[in-house]
Amino acid sequence: MKHIISRYRPLYISSLVYMLQNSEYVIGDYLAWLSRTSDFSQIMYRKKLIETRKARLLKFLLWLITLMLLLIAVVLAFNSLWLISIFILVLAPWIISYIIIIPLYVGYIFIQKPKESQMIISAKKIIAGHKGIKIAIVGSYGKTTAKEALRTVLSEGKKVAATPGNQNTLIGISRFAHKLKGDEDIIIFELGESHVGDIKKLSELTQPDLGIMTGINEAHLKTFKTLERTVATIFEIQTYLGEKPLYKNIDSILVRDNIDKNDQLGFSLKGIGGWKVQNAKTSFDGTEFTLQKNKDILSVKTGLLGLHNIGIMSAVAVIAKEIGLNNQQIHAGFTKINPVEHRLQPRQHHGAWIIDDTYNGNIEGVEVGLELLKTLPAKKRVYVTPGLVEQGEKSQQIHEKIGYLAANVADEIILMKNSTTNIIVGALEKSSYKGKITLVDDPLRFYKNIDQVIAKGDVVLMQNDWTDNYH
Amino acid sequence: MKKKVAVFFGGKSTEHDISIVTAISSVISPLELSQEYEVVPVYISKEGSWYSDEKLKDISLYRGPELKNFLEKSKKINILFDDGLTLIKSGIRKEKIHIDIAFPAMHGTYGEDGSLMGLLRMANVPIVGCDMPASVIAMDKVLAKQAVMAKGIATPKYISFSKTDFSESTLNNIKKELSLPLFVKPSHLGSSIGISKVTKFDDLKNSIEVALHYDDKVLVEEGVEDLIEVTLPIMGNQKPVPSLLERPLVKDNDFFDFEKKYINEGGSKNGAKKGAQGYSELPAKLEKNLYDKAVDTAIKSYKAIECQGIARVDLLIDGNTKEIYFNELNPLPGDLYSHNWRANGVSKVQLVERLINYAEESFLQKNAIENTFSTNYLKQF
Repeated sequence: MKHIISRYRPLYISSLVYMLQNSEYVIGDYLAWLSRTSDFSQIMYRKKLIETRKARLLKFLLWLITLMLLLIAVVLAFNSLWLISIFILVLAPWIISYIIIIPLYVGYIFIQKPKESQMIISAKKIIAGHKGIKIAIVGSYGKTTAKEALRTVLSEGKKVAATPGNQNTLIGISRFAHKLKGDEDIIIFELGESHVGDIKKLSELTQPDLGIMTGINEAHLKTFKTLERTVATIFEIQTYLGEKPLYKNIDSILVRDNIDKNDQLGFSLKGIGGWKVQNAKTSFDGTEFTLQKNKDILSVKTGLLGLHNIGIMSAVAVIAKEIGLNNQQIHAGFTKINPVEHRLQPRQHHGAWIIDDTYNGNIEGVEVGLELLKTLPAKKRVYVTPGLVEQGEKSQQIHEKIGYLAANVADEIILMKNSTTNIIVGALEKSSYKGKITLVDDPLRFYKNIDQVIAKGDVVLMQNDWTDNYH
Repeated sequence: MKKKVAVFFGGKSTEHDISIVTAISSVISPLELSQEYEVVPVYISKEGSWYSDEKLKDISLYRGPELKNFLEKSKKINILFDDGLTLIKSGIRKEKIHIDIAFPAMHGTYGEDGSLMGLLRMANVPIVGCDMPASVIAMDKVLAKQAVMAKGIATPKYISFSKTDFSESTLNNIKKELSLPLFVKPSHLGSSIGISKVTKFDDLKNSIEVALHYDDKVLVEEGVEDLIEVTLPIMGNQKPVPSLLERPLVKDNDFFDFEKKYINEGGSKNGAKKGAQGYSELPAKLEKNLYDKAVDTAIKSYKAIECQGIARVDLLIDGNTKEIYFNELNPLPGDLYSHNWRANGVSKVQLVERLINYAEESFLQKNAIENTFSTNYLKQF
């Protein structure tokens, strides 16, 4: 009953606009969220609607449609068509939640799409005329880390521009291209993928001279349907680059299995090409190792946590050398690399270490995080996760794996309750897990009060926070 | 089904406000985060009325005038002692809440002094923390001193007297028996309320009058030379577990009064942290032998007063002779001294969970003892 009443609150309209805004106005995502939601009073629990011009316009339209429905109901009532009138009044919240798609779709087709197409065409021209070296980063995971590392190291000797945040779509990159000054030595593009053909289109837009493939996994399986399609899409960059260099992470099985075994541009925890990794170690302060090729020794020390970073850091070091930076510049650049926000980002709190990996969203990241948790010195190891979203048909298998992995590492496991919780708990039980399991109903309250759960000597790994649309 | 824990706080006491903070931030919130218990707040107003409502778990309710409005609109609760403790909320539909565990978080009078525990004992419900006898002894500084002295633990030389016994001859006796500096303390109050330091006998009478304003029993004791003040939170029943020995660092007025403890950010000039914990050395930097001896003295004191669940023992160390003196025992430390436990690897959630386990353990032991006895005594009447 409470859920039904939540559709009749004045805030219902703002909630609908909030859902549209957080679905980035992608109608399919909005409809999926709509079908999952029963209690609209909780929609804006963690965040609020950002009052952009578009949001205000949509709110106005929704109110207008609501008033029109009321008017129709009143007219019908005056004409003694009581049943239809009541029917419209009762169903008004459902009607407006779907009817809003029409102006949105019309606006997209007739205004936004032509504008975007024009922007993409002009961005392509800007990039084509740019003299700088263009580097494209592709992969299911690790793109942001690779991009930030490359940007920081190369900035020691070159003028570098890189796509900000997660701007990795045709529109995002086009907007970025329009802001380029033209005097950059190097431009780094992060290319995102969610459908077959995405990387091809983005490669044609960014026209890279060099590529980095960070790894392939089940991310976006919901849209790709099969792993083969994911692999094919990410490898679209190889087709575009042809003979131009493409550095590939051969620690990723799906990359390794799809390339030549003698590929000299494959990087891994062991090194890259003739460069060998030695003396690798990781702590709360970061990771350090040396890269050696014949008599040339490169010392690398970064603020990034976890030995899994060594492969991509080796690739970054070698690319920097190829581009013309000397060993001192490369070393200095690496020391400036800090963890990306919410990605294995350590912070000390009341004598405990909290490793914030809430932006991680894949099983490889879970494995890496738990391996790190196992390695770091701790009195008590705590693992916090809601599980992973968008895992499609593999969800059962993946969440069982999370349970088995966590059972071997954590002294205490805290799970944010959702549809995947029982799978993880089941795997923990099958593993005869002896530690404490806590199931949390209200993740926001838990995160806000984390200081009450921790004590000196604890290491807490927090992974995979779910955004509002998945709760 | 989750066990229901009633958290009692507020009360007719000078420490009413401190109790609200302890209850909400150190008991209710961690208990709820543990996901193991259903928490029932029981707020006792300054007038002594009892209330229970989910809204009472929100600290913001107590900041302004909202509380008064809220209480005016709320129904008071009744309690029933049939088959345990039951709270009764009156209204159109009478609601009965059966309580599985009682968690007193009421400092000072009517709470920490054992009164509440006495009431809860009659309900035959597990009680978290010190039971009535230990609370009564601990909250009377004179009785506490006598209890530990009986077990061979040293305490500074003192003289105590009641309001009715206080006269010029008491003053003369103090001047004759004790050496300056002296500390004048109300025997029952916590949070350093009414305590003053006397460095010349001319101020003694005034200090005693201040203390008698707060309590009808006063204690005057000798100060310790080259004082090192330390405190140790302890938890457990028969086998007490110590946390870390902590040394409050006070330089301005040589002792930790109410203002410094709770209002003036723990006396810290840089304002690092709020509360007493903001201005202390944790763990106390003492040589190992002295540290261990202090911990041992604190545990012996805890046992001498027969504490259960949790308490904090305050000790005084003579910097020259390294002699350790029992000062006082706090049966319900403010904030449960959770900062100290956390520094020792025990989170707030773990702390309350352990305290509940101790309460249940103690309850089982007490219930194994027969309390009633059938006689023919009444037949003669």
